[in-house]
Amino acid sequence: MEKVVIKDSNYRIRKGKILRTKQLTKLEKLFEIALDGGESLDQEPGQFVMVSIFGVGEAPISVCSSPTKRGSFELCVRDAGKVTGAMHRLEAGDEIGIRGPYGKGFPIRILEGNDLLMVAGGLGIAPLRSLIKYAFDNRRDFGKIHIMLGCKTSDDLLFEDELNQWFKRMDVHYECTVDRAASDWDGHVGQITTLLPGVHLETERTFAIVVGPPVMYKFVLRELIKKNIPENQIILSFERHMKCGMGKCGRCQIQNLYCCQDGPVFNYADIKNMSEAL
Amino acid sequence: MKRPKVGFFDFACCEGCQLQVANFGEELLDILDVIDVVEFREVMSEKWEGDFDVAIVEGSITDKHAVERIKRIRERSKVLIAYGSCATIGGVNGMKNAFDLTDIRKYVYGSDYKFFKTQMTKALHQVVKVDYFVNGCPIYPPELVKVLKAALQGIPYYVPDYAVCVDCRLNENVCMYEKGVTCFGPVTRAGCNSWCVNNGNICYGCRGIVSNPNEKGMKEVLTKHNIPIEFILNKVNMYNKCRELVEGGEDDE
Amino acid sequence: MKDLQYVILKKENLDGFISRMSRLRKVSAPVAKGNGEYAFEEVDSSDRIELKYKPTIMPPKKYFMPQEETLLEFSTAKGLATKPVVEYEKMTLFGVHTCDLAGIQCLNAVFSVRPRDYNYLTRKRQIDIIGLECGDYCDEHASCSMVSAHMPSGGYDLFFTDLGDYFIVHMNTQAGEEMIEATKCFESAEETHFDDLQSFRKKKRDTFKSEVQIEPRFIPGLFDACFESSIWKELDAKCLACGNCTNVCPTCYCFDIIDEVGLDLKNGKRYRKWDSCQLEPFAKVAGGENFRKERAARQRHRYYRKFRYPVAKYSKFFCTGCGRCSRSCMAGIHLKDTLNALIKESDSKIWKKWL
Repeated sequence: MEKVVIKDSNYRIRKGKILRTKQLTKLEKLFEIALDGGESLDQEPGQFVMVSIFGVGEAPISVCSSPTKRGSFELCVRDAGKVTGAMHRLEAGDEIGIRGPYGKGFPIRILEGNDLLMVAGGLGIAPLRSLIKYAFDNRRDFGKIHIMLGCKTSDDLLFEDELNQWFKRMDVHYECTVDRAASDWDGHVGQITTLLPGVHLETERTFAIVVGPPVMYKFVLRELIKKNIPENQIILSFERHMKCGMGKCGRCQIQNLYCCQDGPVFNYADIKNMSEAL
Repeated sequence: MKRPKVGFFDFACCEGCQLQVANFGEELLDILDVIDVVEFREVMSEKWEGDFDVAIVEGSITDKHAVERIKRIRERSKVLIAYGSCATIGGVNGMKNAFDLTDIRKYVYGSDYKFFKTQMTKALHQVVKVDYFVNGCPIYPPELVKVLKAALQGIPYYVPDYAVCVDCRLNENVCMYEKGVTCFGPVTRAGCNSWCVNNGNICYGCRGIVSNPNEKGMKEVLTKHNIPIEFILNKVNMYNKCRELVEGGEDDE
Repeated sequence: MKDLQYVILKKENLDGFISRMSRLRKVSAPVAKGNGEYAFEEVDSSDRIELKYKPTIMPPKKYFMPQEETLLEFSTAKGLATKPVVEYEKMTLFGVHTCDLAGIQCLNAVFSVRPRDYNYLTRKRQIDIIGLECGDYCDEHASCSMVSAHMPSGGYDLFFTDLGDYFIVHMNTQAGEEMIEATKCFESAEETHFDDLQSFRKKKRDTFKSEVQIEPRFIPGLFDACFESSIWKELDAKCLACGNCTNVCPTCYCFDIIDEVGLDLKNGKRYRKWDSCQLEPFAKVAGGENFRKERAARQRHRYYRKFRYPVAKYSKFFCTGCGRCSRSCMAGIHLKDTLNALIKESDSKIWKKWL
């Protein structure tokens, strides 16, 4: 058996250095990463990377920073498995492996010039943050921006300091709700769907971008349809198990679509009848 | 780097899994380079009084003294690995649970039976928290090495939750059912690289049953091959009787 | 008719050909494994080769896409160092049936579309393929005619057709021609040999008839109509989720990627290993959600990956009619039966509406 190095292997790894970490909640930690040699990740908002912890494995993680942030990128990682668990033990200065970016991100060119209703549940804020930050950095290119955020309790809120800034911004309509409130919480209480009826939208020029756990989609979609947002103006991002990121390994397949190549961002009109999608 | 302190222990078992470790051959030397074995009754006489980084435990729990001893081992160990069918799923010792405990004691100890208290057989995780499982009777040595490495790395090891058939087919074995022999591969958890079938034997189900077996489908297969269900259940219970145990349902007789 | 692309090999010279080839490089061919089963194994003469065999337990995909294959070597000992690698072996496959040639062509398509898989593509170039024609059905599970995989249509370097006391051999590539020149066992083909081949093929066309009651061009439509069919529920009750059907399939290519470290916990390799959509954990995400939890959904997915999804992406079926999935299924889930049941069900529901 011969064994040779293949330089053009799609499994080759780019070395990344962790510049900074921040424990956001008990389960979620933020990593700021720079690629070796100052290389740019050159990602679109909504794309993901395969992160390697060598000896443990690889996991797909969506990039939560905007490409407008140069020189480094950010990943918000929930400790939910073998690789992410091992990742949580890493600190600034540690090295990791990066493949990608992969997948189709949010359709920026289509969203430009329109109003955005961005709805995130739980960890869904991580991928959506890449778009929020991008829109803020190119604020002129978009119409009204609404951000609706929901999570279980106020302890689960991610990027809390940023949220406070969003709240203060004049050019953004931001609302946040928790399912169960602690005594010091003075905001909305209730499921994320309770925020939607109160939002005033110009439906013909509004794109809804929804990211959250599978169970959330059903209820949020129902509200959006009720508000007369056309199906092809609803954008979703899915979470699937992935091994290769290149449309081969088969893990992330939704009928004939590969979440890693055709997604993770999908137009609702394209997948609404797919039984394995939602 | 300081080598982690490892202790090997045994409860009700045949010590066959320890023998597998002792028989590792050259790889054992490599393993001893990275761990410090401080207690292992089968191969050394020293005892360790301190705490363990890793305890590797064989055997099932069958009486009050065993319960106390395993709890003590658990308290002294950062990581506990259950290895072998007796420790991971109760194993053959579990067959006891099919009988009345008094009858069993009378059968084994005769008229002195009252001096020998006993309990329903339990796997280790039915008594204490277990961090890693290495199933099998005996263990498949490469799997123990894999688990040991995972324990040293501090990452979880998941026992495959699919059938032995998966590996068996990859090994291009002729299916036992083709040969007209009953085999438990279809419902038994993989991870052994279909070791027995590779060597001409059937799968006995020693690694435990997959978490979501298709019982109805399996019954149909058995019916097709004219194999009575009772015969199969008896065979399955040879290793897997303890899975029926409801927590706290034990009695000390 | 004189066709320079054809030569003949007398049966008594087969052994000379195989043993000479095996001195040049590894040769693998179908050999008997007992109980009527066969497998591709390394040979150095024609002694063990079975010229009439039913499809091997594992298809020849095991050489193109090994069950375990190292993708990357790494070390974290002195900072992070990684090295993408490919492992391959120069070899010749002898005796590949047309169904398995079709299977290899499917894999070629998958790994050639961007992003290309250079591990597969590198290895593929190192394997020469000698096909072997079937004159008759191997058994009742074959459905090669349904997908037109019973006739040779490329995918080989040399192609052997057994015509009694000799083989007529089609040279399809330069690599094939080089094998013939290197071993010097072949003779030129004469008029009568072509006549023999013609009558062999004529008889063959009469023997092979589509095995299901539907024209192949309607199969994608059939599947479009059958996603919610009750047939999948029936398979749910039967399937043991043992993964046999996908592991033996010549066109299944799903895989897992796994890291393995040495005892020093610093040096190791990353390898890919065959995986199966039939196994319960396959489509499960970290949060616990399983998008194909039911065996029915997993079986359905397998059939759609043969007859519907690849038609859109690669313009061909990913079933070669080899029959392995049916043969290896303990629960008796047979591909032809499933298709016929779908046809029968949709017959009453769908087609009639159009009349």
